[in-house]
Order: sequence, then C-alpha cells, then structure tokens
Amino acid sequence: MSAPFKRSRKGIAVNLTHAERALLATLPELVVEGGDAGGRLAYQAHTADAPTEEAYQTLVGDSLDTARADDRKTLASTLEEAVLDENTALAWMRVVGDARIVLAHRLGIDRDGWEETIDRSSSDAVLISYLGFIQDSLVSVLD
Amino acid sequence: MTTSAPQEVDDPLVDEKHSADRPWQVVVWNDPVNLMSYVVWVFRKLFGHPVDEATRLMLQVHNEGRAIVSSGPLEKAEFDCHRLHHHGLWATLERP
Repeated sequence: MSAPFKRSRKGIAVNLTHAERALLATLPELVVEGGDAGGRLAYQAHTADAPTEEAYQTLVGDSLDTARADDRKTLASTLEEAVLDENTALAWMRVVGDARIVLAHRLGIDRDGWEETIDRSSSDAVLISYLGFIQDSLVSVLD
Repeated sequence: MTTSAPQEVDDPLVDEKHSADRPWQVVVWNDPVNLMSYVVWVFRKLFGHPVDEATRLMLQVHNEGRAIVSSGPLEKAEFDCHRLHHHGLWATLERP
C-alpha cells in the first residue's frame, strides 16, 4: 500500500482512491452522531473542583465544539483536493482522531492491547484500524 | 512569671499566598485510542518539546498512566489543556 500523503514542493500531496475519499467523507457525520463519545470528546479540566470547572467551562464556552466543527467543514470542503496546505492537513488529522475516538467508544475499547483482541469482522474495527493508518501517515508528513 | 513554648498557628493568609504561587500542572492521561506517534507529534507541536523529550513524556503516559506536560499560571494551563482537548487527548489540571 502506497503512502496516502507525501510532502511535495506545493504542500501535502494526497494519494487516496475515490473510495477512500468517499469513506473519509462519512467522518463528519460519524463524529457528530457520536456525540461526546462517552465523555471522551468532553473532557473536564478541573475534575476535582466543580466551581473551578464551571468557571473554566464558562470561559471556553462552545469554542471547542466550534473548533471541531471548523475542522469537519475543512475536511468536507477539501476532500477532492490533490494537494493540501498544512492547516488543512491538520484539520484532517484532528477529524480522523475524533472519528477514532467515537469508534473506540462504539467498540467498547477502554484499555491498551485492544488491537490483539478486537473482532476484525466488525466494520467499525476495520475503519478504526484504517484511520490509524491515515493518521499515522499524516503525522509523518506533518513532522 | 511563666513562659510557654512557641506554638504554631495556622495563618490562612500565608497558606493562601503559597497556594496562589504554586503553578498549575497540565496532566495528560493514558488512553487506548490515540497513536503513540500522534501523541509525540502533539507534544512537539503544542509545547515545542524536542523529539526525545516528547517521546519520553509519551512513554511516561503510556507506562505510568499519566505525565505532566506543562505547568504555569492558571490561564496558561487552561489554554494548554484546551488545546490538548482539541487534539483529542485526555488532559486535566491540578495544583500540588
């Protein structure tokens, strides 16, 4: 399997098939439908101090939801691009990460070593592994 | 005339001052989902750690369950925590 992303002089070249791009196009909806993924996309900062956590949540407001929504919009609007700039690739990487977190929650993954025991006939299991490959490739080109 | 030995007294103002001076720590917790390579990349990208330090912190998270990745005043710690959350990492704040 060839690398899905490569550095080029113009930016980050995308080497994905039409089917792969179509699969990535499903991620924004998957993430939205996943909600907070059992709390994994709604981490608290001050877990032992409710008043301070409330002040923190007031401070940040919906900025995290907005930033994630912006990432999803960026992915959706650039899926057919042949070359990505760095900020766009960063958005792709974060959406892929959010999708993996949602899938992990759906699969009941809660400890290390799940790769050895997961039911590989599950479509979610196939997808979470594939997205790991995609994210790892993005990490390599953004390094 | 009698004398008594000095006794320690609680001084809430002193304790409060010392508490306020202590930096907040940003703690990243182990999770089974995020790739090791991705966590190293996030530590480098967000905090400017060299690859060796970022890798050491990632391994500490993986092996010990948690690592302190940055520290400072509350505002900075909350900003760092927010950025980690945006990148899907499990981060919390504490002050020892």
